Parts: sequence; structure tokens; C-alpha cells
Amino acid sequence: MAGITDLGVGIGWRSEIDLTVERLPGVDFVEVVAENLHGDVQRGHLPESVRLLLERGIPVLPHAVSLSLGGADPVDLTRVEHLGEVAEAVGAPMVSDHVCFVRAGGLDSGHLMPVPRTKDALDVLVANVRLAQQNLPVPLALENVAALLEWPDGELSEGQFLAELVERTDCWLLVDVANLYANARNIGTDPERFLDEIPLERLAYVHVAGGVDHGDVYHDTHAHAVLPEVLGVLDELCSRVSPPGVLLERDDNYPSDSEIASELAAIRAVVDAHRG
Amino acid sequence: MVTPMTAQTTQLSAEQAGYLTAGPGRAAETALARLIDAGLVRVSRDGLVSAVHQTNHGATTPVEARLLNHARAAVRFDAILQSTATSTEMTQLHEHLLGRGLMQRPRRRSPAWVFSLGVAVFLVFLGFSTPAFFIGVPIALLFFVWQRGRGAVTKAGKEVLRQVTASDRVHAVALYGFAGKVSGHKVGDLFDLSQSVVKMIPLKKKHRSSSDGGGCGSASSCSSCGSGCGSSSSSCSSGSSCSSGGSSCGGGCGGGGGGD
Ligand SMILES: [Fe+2]
Repeated sequence: MAGITDLGVGIGWRSEIDLTVERLPGVDFVEVVAENLHGDVQRGHLPESVRLLLERGIPVLPHAVSLSLGGADPVDLTRVEHLGEVAEAVGAPMVSDHVCFVRAGGLDSGHLMPVPRTKDALDVLVANVRLAQQNLPVPLALENVAALLEWPDGELSEGQFLAELVERTDCWLLVDVANLYANARNIGTDPERFLDEIPLERLAYVHVAGGVDHGDVYHDTHAHAVLPEVLGVLDELCSRVSPPGVLLERDDNYPSDSEIASELAAIRAVVDAHRG
Repeated sequence: MVTPMTAQTTQLSAEQAGYLTAGPGRAAETALARLIDAGLVRVSRDGLVSAVHQTNHGATTPVEARLLNHARAAVRFDAILQSTATSTEMTQLHEHLLGRGLMQRPRRRSPAWVFSLGVAVFLVFLGFSTPAFFIGVPIALLFFVWQRGRGAVTKAGKEVLRQVTASDRVHAVALYGFAGKVSGHKVGDLFDLSQSVVKMIPLKKKHRSSSDGGGCGSASSCSSCGSGCGSSSSSCSSGSSCSSGGSSCGGGCGGGGGGD
């Protein structure tokens, strides 16, 4: 698939740190949260900073958080359409959302809720993903989420569940290694088994994020430094496949430019170590 | 060669120089400039100001601490300048400058203010309607200047301010404001601030309180700025950069500037 073979190392563009993102050394691509871009995006009304990055030739990938593709409610096609408009406005090679649901029975949870890993839930997810794909101008990648609890009666492991999703929809995978680490810490899943089970040839890119330990629970806050253990999971992934891109997500408590730069450098060091 | 001043040498912080130059609005701009310069605060393209750390660590003055505190959650550029300019910490800075004899309380807030204005207006009418035209109008103008009060910055204040130069970008803000210019460069550009952000700086305040600093508020300093500030009262505000020192009027009315 053209355009995503070598994204490099990137960072989530956020309006609060737009100038930081622009001046940081070594930003090869950025992600924008599609829902944060309002207005006439199809007529080119993008934030000035995003336009500037595009002019510099930096790929901008829209990332959605509200399609709720794992939900039993029908897919909201206006949200899919907006995501598509953002993709076209920034000339993105692909878009992404999560394997989760955020709404049920008309209520918005405000969280990315994990999908029960049953055959029935997978059927619903597959139907929703196919509908979204039909209404999107570019390929769709789907991301594994962090869960604080597991639904009972799961029939498949998370890796098997995603492998089957890819098999049936031909979607791409966005692997969040911080979420893998969070699930390992909080619900005892095995990141290595996950990486063994997913089709790595369908890996679009990778997310890395920071979090914090609260006693027995790890919180995937995106507002703290990236733990070495999360970079360890990235290292494990890189030992199996050379990821087309790795992106740092930071959503709050933005540290100094130099701290962000050193997090990006640490990510790049892990990736480069496997490229030799 | 001039002998260096000895006992009278007075050190001014950039923040204090900002206050003496154009009042609390400028002092707030200067405090923000210092924090951006130190990497303790960042400003986004659309003017969101946010603190880099969740502590006041790194603040060197109470005004800076106040500003950092307010910026822990992202806040608009104009809003944070406004709240900092009207904070108790800023009032304390004013008190400090008063205490050092660098500023004085303006006269124009006397209860006779409205009465004086009435007399001036009466004299203008008298001037236009009688042969005493050439006497009435100048008297009214003099009266008007008098009732606006003496300069808020004292002679001593102007003296120490004269020694302040735009030696770095923080001092450039103190003297000219983010919206001003130094050596032909927009001061805002020195901080990567877009013109749309610079234009957010509050332009006009309806009533200058007695705690306001020098700058356009004092008739004497305005007149020394020539066309820069003095001609139109609407372009004079606490945020503008009409300097009290006649020599440093180059920046013009910073708040009113901003071309394209
Ligand atoms: Fe993520």
C-alpha cells in the first residue's frame, strides 16, 4: 500500500503543542484527532500549523475516537463521512480508529470500552468495519485498546480476535504497545502471545504512550512519561517486524520541548537498533 | 568619561521596567515573556498559554508564580494577561515601585475631576463663542492636561528606566510589548508568536485605575510620544507601549499596532 511503507517516527499533533511539534527535530509524521478538526475541512479550513506541516511534506494521519465500531448501535455515517473528509483534506494515506465501543443505547461512555471477544461480537464488529470501509476514501487501520477489565465468556484471545478481524475485513492494524503493556499489567494478557497471533504484515504503524503506576494498576494516561517497560514491548515488536511507523501520543501535561524530543529519540533508538 | 553612579544606582527587573514603561498590562506581558524564554510556558498558534510543569518551580517573582499557576490548564493569551495585570501580585508590584519612589499616585483621581472637566468644557465653549477664542481654548487644554494628572512615573523612575535597553527579547517586551517593534523586528516574532495571537493583547481599558502605571496614562509621557500615542485617547491603554521616557517612544502604541 503506497504511502505508509516508511512513516518513520512521529507524534500526535495537538493544538496546545502545535509550535513544539513544528520545531521538534525528527518528526517524520503526525496524527491528528479527526474529531478535533471542525468546520469546513473539505474546503481546506485546516489549522495553520497542520497546513504548514503538510507544506513541509510531513504526512498527517487522521485518528478517530468516536466511530464506536464495536458497538451494537448502527454506525453513525456522519462521523465516518467527517473522518473521510479530514483524510481528503490532509491527503492521508489511511485513517484509524479503535477496536472498541464508546456508545451504547444512545449513551456516550466517554471511554474506549473493550469489545467482548466472542464470535457474536466479532460479527457485529466486522459488519460495522465493512460499512465504514465502504464509506471511507482510504484504508482503515484499527487499534487495540487498554482494558481495565475483561468481559466474561471470551472465546478468543485478543490476538486471535484481531487476526480474524483482519482476515474478514482486510483492515490494517495500529498496535499500541502502551495498551499492550497496560493489559499485561492490569488483566494479565501476554504481549508476546499477542504479537505472535496478529498478522504483522498488516501492521500500519505503532503507538507509544506514557502512563503511571497506581499501586497494582497501570493507568494509560497519555499525560506522563513513557515507561521503559513500554519501550520494552516496542523492542519486542521490532524484533519481529520493522514497523512502518511509530508515533508518540501525548494528550495532556505536555512536558518541555526537550523532554518530548528525548522521548522521540528513545523511540527512534529502539526502532533503529533492529534495523542495523 | 562619566563616573558610574554609586549610591543611586537602582536595578530594575524586566517586569518592573515593563510596569514603569506602560503599566500592569505591560508588566504582565513581560512576566509571560520571561516564562516563555525560560521554557516554563508555551503558547500555541491559536494563543493557548499552558505551563510546562505542574508546579510553580522556576518562577522568580510573585507575578510569574501567579501566571504559572493560572496556566496549569491551557488559558487564552489575552485572558491570562488580563488576569495577571489585575492580580493582587501586580498590585503588590505597584506598591513596591511606589515605595521605591519610582512611581507616584496620579493626581487625576481627586474628587474634583468631574468638576474640572466641566470647567474645561465650559472654557472651550467660551473660547469658540467669544473674541477671547485664542485665550479660552489654550486655557482649557492646559486645564485638561492638568486634570489628567501628573505622571505616574517619578523623575527617579524615568531615570532608572532610561538605563534599560532591549538587550534581550524579554527586555524588548518590557520596553515595546509583544506588539511593538525593536530594531525593525516585530517583538512577537522573537517569541514565534503569530500576529493573530499578538493582536489578542487587550487594547483598551475604559477606566485607568489609580494603580495603573506610566505610559499613556500620564499626560506628560503621552505628549512626549508625539503621534505615537498621545493624539488619540482611544489608542492609549495600559497595554500600549507609549513610553514614559521620551527617548524610547519608538515602539509606538504597541497594542494598537499590528498591521497585516
Ligand atoms: Fe493509542
